[in-house]
Amino acid sequence: MLDTVRLVETPEGVALHLHPAGVMPRAAAWAVDLMIRVAATMLLLVLFGLLGQGGMGLSLLSMFVVYWLYPILFEVLRDGQTIGKRAIGLRVIHANGTPVGWLASIVRNLMRTVDMLPVLYGFGAVASLLDPQGRRLGDMVAGTLVIHAERAPAAAPVPLVPAVWPEQVLASEEKAAIVAFAERGPRLTPERQAELADLLVPLTRQRGASAVQRLYGIASALLGRQ
Amino acid sequence: MKQVQFQAAHEAAWLQLQAWLDAQSRHARRGEPAPALDDADFAAAYRELCQHYALAQRRGYSASLLERLRALVHRGHTQLYRPPRPRWRSTLDFVATGFPRAVHASRVQFGLAALLLFGPLLATIALLQWRPELVHTLFDATELARIEEMYDPAATHQRIGRESGSDLSMFGFYVLNNVGIGFRTFASGLLGALGPVLILAFNGVAIGGVAGHLTAIGYGGPLWRFVVGHSAPELLAIVIAGAAGLRVGMALLAPGRRSRARALVEEGQLGARLVLGAFALLVLAAFIEAFWSSIGWLPDVVKFGSGGLLWLAIGLWLWRGGRAPAPE
Repeated sequence: MLDTVRLVETPEGVALHLHPAGVMPRAAAWAVDLMIRVAATMLLLVLFGLLGQGGMGLSLLSMFVVYWLYPILFEVLRDGQTIGKRAIGLRVIHANGTPVGWLASIVRNLMRTVDMLPVLYGFGAVASLLDPQGRRLGDMVAGTLVIHAERAPAAAPVPLVPAVWPEQVLASEEKAAIVAFAERGPRLTPERQAELADLLVPLTRQRGASAVQRLYGIASALLGRQ
Repeated sequence: MKQVQFQAAHEAAWLQLQAWLDAQSRHARRGEPAPALDDADFAAAYRELCQHYALAQRRGYSASLLERLRALVHRGHTQLYRPPRPRWRSTLDFVATGFPRAVHASRVQFGLAALLLFGPLLATIALLQWRPELVHTLFDATELARIEEMYDPAATHQRIGRESGSDLSMFGFYVLNNVGIGFRTFASGLLGALGPVLILAFNGVAIGGVAGHLTAIGYGGPLWRFVVGHSAPELLAIVIAGAAGLRVGMALLAPGRRSRARALVEEGQLGARLVLGAFALLVLAAFIEAFWSSIGWLPDVVKFGSGGLLWLAIGLWLWRGGRAPAPE
């Protein structure tokens, strides 16, 4: 499948597949965060305005917290997701796949002052567009990455059809292709299934729906069903 | 082994690990029974899962099985390698030795930043004593009037150094203002070393301009009484933030034997430690500035004495702590 994937080898010797996010999802998450920040600031201003002079100081303090500390606290304590990122389905992690820590989050969020230049995150957006992993300047300095959060994979059971052994010897890519067809087939329209199955007439020696069923049978055999 | 047999043999272990991971997540409800997998066995179960995933990849099993195992491996990896919780002990270590050691390690940049801040500051003060009319190139008339009103020795009805506002409101304002300056000084290091240089020099000239002008027109008394209390943490914190920014800037310009990317990451992390300490110092300075410095009726001995003591204390802390051996 065509996608931006970053392979990170873990100490256990397997590779994690990380899907870095590009400029557009990150911009959307930032917009959501901005609305939340503005709303929180206005709410706090109203609340503290009722307290008079001392309330002014508290409201300034709370503006400071909302502006600087909100992203840091959320990224470290909520699994790398601020509210905006959670809404869009993004997550901040270290470049080696581990969850983001305090120092990295502090560095990447303090660097926003440079990413915001010259206007509306200009430098950050350009850096994100040019970088193959979509990192802005703060990410590059802090060694972090913004990835699409993992979704639970949808179950794709192969249809239960009696096993039919293929009459020819198949290469491993061909076996993988037939099994992949059997997993995705039930989600396609019958016409599309038949169209794909017709590509393998030399193997199945049938056309249309029966070719589809024959391929499902071959897939069952390849999976090891009886 | 065919995929179906492989799945049948290991499905139970995968479901057990998945249940354990679900129980660890924050959203697990309290009433559910404890997972079957023991906490001590998690690492071994995770390694076994990685082995299954590698086998499945090698044997070319179906994409859906690989995706499922991959997702489980990612969850286990996230759980096993999460950052450790910050502990009080490590915070105390940071305050006592970690931060002074970081400053000590950056003493060259610290010296440079101090030069960049105090040089223009003292030069501007001296210049304005000699040629007081030059202040009009720095500030316009309304700003000058505002500054003079804040430090007017004849105005005994109000606190020095502020136009209006209670202590708490000024505390909030100082935090927002000063900490913002400190953070921007650090972050401007990304624009090469030019960023911190310009910000430090500009702040030095601005502060020196205010101080020099007020001293030249005879308002020096209120000014220095106001400033001496919080000057130590505030100025030192800005110098430290400038040092951190200079580190990042020099990483871009002269990374040495590392690649620029690597140098940026390393200097960024060192700089973050410095900025953390500078942040704490700036909050302390804002606190003193808001609640202590403005009090006009304190005798000079108390004000200058406490200010001098603070300079001495912070200097000693950075000096001694910087030479202490690293904690175990």
